[in-house]
Amino acid sequence: MNLSEIKNLIISSLNADADPIEVSRILEEEGISYNFSKKFSDKILNKLFFAGLTIKREAEFVKYMNFAFYRVAVTGVAAIVVLLISIFLMEGSLSFNSFLGLSNGYNESIVCLLTGN
Amino acid sequence: MINESYSVTKDIELVKESLNGKNEAFGEIVKRYQKMVARTIKSMLGNSVFAEDIGQEVFIKLYYSLSEFRGEAKLSTYIQKIAVNLTLNEIKRRKRFFSMFSQKANNEMYEFEVADNNTEERNEASELVNKALMAMDPKFRIIVTMRMLQGYSTKETAEILDLPLGTVLSRLSRAQEQLRNILVKL
Repeated sequence: MNLSEIKNLIISSLNADADPIEVSRILEEEGISYNFSKKFSDKILNKLFFAGLTIKREAEFVKYMNFAFYRVAVTGVAAIVVLLISIFLMEGSLSFNSFLGLSNGYNESIVCLLTGN
Repeated sequence: MINESYSVTKDIELVKESLNGKNEAFGEIVKRYQKMVARTIKSMLGNSVFAEDIGQEVFIKLYYSLSEFRGEAKLSTYIQKIAVNLTLNEIKRRKRFFSMFSQKANNEMYEFEVADNNTEERNEASELVNKALMAMDPKFRIIVTMRMLQGYSTKETAEILDLPLGTVLSRLSRAQEQLRNILVKL
């Protein structure tokens, strides 16, 4: 098909009685076609699913870290409470000396203990 | 990456599968309709560097709006509407951008669009059609694209462009006149 025939076809394609499907088929046969690059669909799928997956994995990691932190924090607080109770039961008070285990000791006995005399 | 087993699956099934998290099903939708989208975008914007980005935007927008697709219209029509809207928005954006620098905004915009066409081998017929389309007013260009390149009937064109049938018919007639004047000079 030469250029003047294509021009006529293009103009006649807009007639009300033209068959648009047939015109588009002929034009495509004449090399008037459009396409994206070969990797087009892969690029879209990567953007939609794999970039999204990385974000999702990061979000899951942060979620697991928060969960682990709460577990450790709760366990730690429970351990401190148990320690305080046991100190109170053993020493009879929660003073600083009780914490150091010195509430029942005398200064002389500590000196003897440290010097060996 | 795209599962061949979906190649004969109906569009509505592909949509359901995609909504169920089957990535390959959506890949098949992209594969099936990318040429149609390319035809709309590249014939409207020229073979510019932005055409592929807009093509990607079309399918990404489609993916996030799949749950709104009821299956009452054809999937191709639904995709075409997205492509047309994004393309017309891009034309408006470019027009605004170019009008900031020159009063001859339209002419420069078309020159810009035609300039970047070396990414594909193009024959004479293709060059002719592209030059003619780029010289047209966008509101007529979209009608010509739908009719001449996509092969849509007047009724389908009206549905995709959300225009009354009478408006499409009158624009078809005016587009034909404009196209005739342009082609004489080419």
